[in-house]
Amino acid sequence: MVWLGRPAHRQNGAVWGDEALGSAQREADLARLIEGVARGERAALQALYDATAPKLLGIILRILKDRAAAEDTLQEVFVRIWQRSGSYDPLAGAPLPWLIAIARHRAIDRLRQDRSARLTQAEDGWFERLADTSDGEADLARRDALAQCLDQVAMPQRDCLVLAYCEGWSREELATRFDRPVNTIKTWLRRGLLSLRTCLETP
Amino acid sequence: MSGSGIPPDWQDDPDLAAGEYVLGTLSPDERAAFAEALEARADLRSAVAAWEARLAPLAATIPAVAPDPALWTAIAARIRPAAGAAVAADAVPAHPVAAGDRIVRLERRVRRWRMTAATAAALAAGLALWIAAGGTAALREPPHYLAVVDRGGTLPALIVRVDLRAGVVQVRSLAAETPPERSLELWYIDAGAAPQSLGLVPGETARLPIPAALRTRTETATFAVTVEPKGGAPDGKPTGPAIYSGRLIRD
Repeated sequence: MVWLGRPAHRQNGAVWGDEALGSAQREADLARLIEGVARGERAALQALYDATAPKLLGIILRILKDRAAAEDTLQEVFVRIWQRSGSYDPLAGAPLPWLIAIARHRAIDRLRQDRSARLTQAEDGWFERLADTSDGEADLARRDALAQCLDQVAMPQRDCLVLAYCEGWSREELATRFDRPVNTIKTWLRRGLLSLRTCLETP
Repeated sequence: MSGSGIPPDWQDDPDLAAGEYVLGTLSPDERAAFAEALEARADLRSAVAAWEARLAPLAATIPAVAPDPALWTAIAARIRPAAGAAVAADAVPAHPVAAGDRIVRLERRVRRWRMTAATAAALAAGLALWIAAGGTAALREPPHYLAVVDRGGTLPALIVRVDLRAGVVQVRSLAAETPPERSLELWYIDAGAAPQSLGLVPGETARLPIPAALRTRTETATFAVTVEPKGGAPDGKPTGPAIYSGRLIRD
């Protein structure tokens, strides 16, 4: 069941809080750091690391579940950022989604390489966190819109989207969980994406 | 429908394929093929970027986890590679790099490369470029070199030696396949100054002098290789994408 109300307690317990990311000013700071990295400035990479590594590690760890593998992947991510920062185009999007995308792709690539079965334990609480506006500066408009629109995605499809995006579940893993053919899962995913896109693009 | 060959889905709705690429739910074959298609298709890249932006708030809600403090040290070691270790890291053939040499990695500027020289994408993809420039005068072996190494049989390779004391860059092209109707040009960029051409990267071995006035400032200078019209940049200023750039770093 999805609950979009505000949780009674704050999720934000990390030393390095969500408020360090998301606001326009912070986005501009991140963009500047990435530009510095593109010029080969090691100090810029270190500052970028300090600002984003904990968040990216959280995201990677959620997918890989294994701490050592996650830290290993985080290392790959920052080496890749060092090598590829020239490919960041500020006009094409905000820096944080770009960084998150690199981290998630690396994590998922690693996950798919590891053929061994893994524990696919769904974790609840995404929507609560998404709807939790108490941590201030994160990009509230986007977050709010995503929460609203995810809520409108029909149920098995929504779970598929969230499990795939946040936890790295494959079509096959989703098929097992929902006891449906892989092609059905694919259809659900696409319908879910379509529904989400339609909602987000409706003013 | 079933996933053999080129995924036909893209024709139907590339945007939803992009969405699944971002979710990570494409099959391994589709994922690899999609990633390859991204290199060439700006429309797919922007579709992917749009999905990343749409979904990022969900990832951003995941609680942060502080990394082991040693992790940065490991990253720092990799982005400023020690002689030899650096070579291994990218599976570049091991050149004997003398201790005390200075090494610089010339980074690829992939984005601009892609946008303006798609036909030569394979060139950029296949190359890794290293400079090792001699530091101490006592070294007996040829102490200075910069190498471009290929990873595939048909891709071009360059070996470039930088002799800071003599002020010469020696460029040797191996199996070079310069993009058609294009030339590669080597540039020297002093901090805050306009790039100065050191000459075209030739089809065969050539020695390009580093102007004397520039030699003393090589520590702060950036070297770059750009793709230019055949014969070189018309006005002495780089016009094409810089496929490599990097600076000398004292080791």
